[in-house]
Amino acid sequence: MNSKSWMVISLLITCLLAAFALSEVYAVTKPKVEQQKNDATKLALSQVLSSAQTFKEVEKDSLWEGLDQSGAKVGIVVRSGRRGYGGPVPVLVGLDLTGRIVGIKVASAAEGLRETPGLGLKATDEPFWKQFLGADSTVALKKDGGTIDAISGATITSRAVARGVAEAIRKYAEHLKP
Amino acid sequence: MTAKKPSRLSYLTTGIIKENPTLILMIGLCPTLATTTSAGDALGMSAAASFVLILSNVVISLVRKVVQPSIRIPIFIIIISTFVTIIDYALQAYQPSLYRVLGVFVPLIVVNCIILGRAEAFAYGHGVFDSFLDGLGNSLGFTLLLVVMGSVREFFAVGTIFGKVVTPAWYRSAPLLFMIFPPGAFFLIGILKALVVKFKLGK
Repeated sequence: MNSKSWMVISLLITCLLAAFALSEVYAVTKPKVEQQKNDATKLALSQVLSSAQTFKEVEKDSLWEGLDQSGAKVGIVVRSGRRGYGGPVPVLVGLDLTGRIVGIKVASAAEGLRETPGLGLKATDEPFWKQFLGADSTVALKKDGGTIDAISGATITSRAVARGVAEAIRKYAEHLKP
Repeated sequence: MTAKKPSRLSYLTTGIIKENPTLILMIGLCPTLATTTSAGDALGMSAAASFVLILSNVVISLVRKVVQPSIRIPIFIIIISTFVTIIDYALQAYQPSLYRVLGVFVPLIVVNCIILGRAEAFAYGHGVFDSFLDGLGNSLGFTLLLVVMGSVREFFAVGTIFGKVVTPAWYRSAPLLFMIFPPGAFFLIGILKALVVKFKLGK
């Protein structure tokens, strides 16, 4: 075999072997990856709406209905993400059927929050997000005429969370009103 | 045989200290600076890179006789990126929280200079076992530096090492936060490099 054709063939064989190995690994890991994603979502959902047993996805990745054991609707979880300092700030908001906020979870750094450590990342701390429990759609920072204390040094992140929560409440209203 | 033994051992050891890829040769700085915000993340990053480095060294050394010099680089890259994609899938499936922290730096292992550097400088011209030792040695050197940097940065910026509290509460309430930011990484690697230079000149 001359060297030119061996060049082509050896490259071809390498690519085929690589493609084969990768498709095998992909097939093995795919169900596990999906399951991890579902588990993570399910866990986050039940943290913000603890009265629900199962969740039905209404809008992909942004709106879920929480159902109790008998299958009756007990509340709704909305995910919103307004722009913060380093990117969107994903917030999960759980609302009961009266529209009251019963749970809120700001995604942690490991879940994709890209705010400044020590400043914006404090949005995941309880003293901050607890202020939103029971809020309505007019929720805003004190600086913007509302009642929420912003995290010192992280107004932009705090505002993103407040707006995200307000957006979630509006979305909830839209969803319930047919 | 007796002459061969020490040279084999040196394949393993040069990569750790004497020719530490990051600190002495100054390659592979990207992941070193970016993923050492905590000791745990640094260890995860080095484990992923080590997996790719050792296996690609072994495979490249296995096929070195049939790979023509003119197409060696594309073949190296295919081999390396295959292992990177495998570790990428594996992390997603089994270590999702680590995967989210390392993020884009896992696929970027493909262009890690250390890995292509070892393939080109060592594995393409040496036997399988020697290449394995070389990969292992360089991995250990890379891991050592990353974990040291991760631990120091985590210690100063958060007050913990591997998540364990090691400083008094008064320190943790006002830590040296800047160490966790990119400038902290440059600052630290500058100090480490300066120490190495001083140590070497002192000898």
